[in-house]
Amino acid sequence: MTQRDKTWQDVVAVADLEPGDVTPVTLGTRDLAVYDARDGVFVSLARCTHGAASLCDGHFDGTYIECPLHQGLFDARTGAAKAAPSRVPLRMFQTRVENGIVQILI
Amino acid sequence: MTTDVRTPITQAMQEGALTRRELKALMSRSDAPALVRVVGFVAVLGLTSTLITLALGTVWVWPAMFLQGIVIVHLFALEHECVHYTAFKTRKLNDVFGNLCGYAIILPFQQFRYEHCNHHTYTQLKGQDPELIELPISVWKYLWYISSVPYWRNKFSQIARNAAGRLNDEDRTFLTKHEAPIIFREARLMVAFYSVVFTAALVFGWSWVLWYWMIPLFLGEPVMRAIRLTEHVGRPNVDDMKENTRTSLVWAPMQFLCWNMNYHAEHHYAASVPFHALPKLHEKLRGYVYVEKRGYLGAHVDIIKQLIGHKPRSDAPTSKP
Repeated sequence: MTQRDKTWQDVVAVADLEPGDVTPVTLGTRDLAVYDARDGVFVSLARCTHGAASLCDGHFDGTYIECPLHQGLFDARTGAAKAAPSRVPLRMFQTRVENGIVQILI
Repeated sequence: MTTDVRTPITQAMQEGALTRRELKALMSRSDAPALVRVVGFVAVLGLTSTLITLALGTVWVWPAMFLQGIVIVHLFALEHECVHYTAFKTRKLNDVFGNLCGYAIILPFQQFRYEHCNHHTYTQLKGQDPELIELPISVWKYLWYISSVPYWRNKFSQIARNAAGRLNDEDRTFLTKHEAPIIFREARLMVAFYSVVFTAALVFGWSWVLWYWMIPLFLGEPVMRAIRLTEHVGRPNVDDMKENTRTSLVWAPMQFLCWNMNYHAEHHYAASVPFHALPKLHEKLRGYVYVEKRGYLGAHVDIIKQLIGHKPRSDAPTSKP
């Protein structure tokens, strides 16, 4: 799929985000994690790339999201796996906020 | 898309036992409670070490070393908390204390971490849970396990195997080619550390290594084995956290030593909740998890009843289809 085929899709209103935390959102068949991070709003697939637990149930410190099952760690800004047992990065989505709505490019 | 994975946390939230917001509040991290408890541990170790010093040269040195051993083997509880990165706020501090405890009780930190991940994924499932302790087939086998002989045999052979750069089939259930080099290096470092310690002890005549550390560790390990038995043994081998794990209500000194890990079912529900919040999680999950109100002793009564036929064995095939 090329950049031209992608469109911005509404995900969730900023007002509905868990402040300073991660909010679970289902968009079509996708389970998403929306991070209200220190550096802005970021969106990834919600499932841990190690054990597939929902990262939305994990501890979020404003930058790093920790898997609730095995405490693997990811950078919520880039999706990079930061600590074992996680190795594979999270699938991140290009994200913006328009008129109070979090949108992702898919 | 990924398939829906039901973890203990999602199960608890789906069944209304607690909300995500309540869970998040309990996950809050802090250094202070763990540092206070570490200071408490050092104070208790100072006390038991003093007892050993006073009793050296008499038969009372053995009970004194046993007391010291009970405290030392409970460093496992701090290492376990560090494995989950919940003891301290920062990951680095968890790594430091986790490794210190690992070296003190001969339990490599990273190896335990990887093994423990699978224990949380496959709790009590035969052939999948690498920490599964089978319900013994007899009282003698139960006592044999508590003696710690099987534990040390397995532990030493695992460290020797990993230090030699080898994995067995059980290792491979929780280690891939990516993690294996980390485990090999860690095992080699541990072998090197103990080689240096014992060589130095021989050369410089450091008898304290034996009297204050090694002998107490081996004397105390049966206590830890007995406690570890209470967590899952005698509970069904099923994929249901309400059934397969036992919380034991114990008296305050034991709760201090075990870093609240007597709230074991609660810990398995939400492994990201730090030890200091487990009593609160216990209140939230009251009536939802299996609780042994008679404490560790009651758990052992339950296990022994199953062994002598006064109660159906938890691992017996069910008549249900």
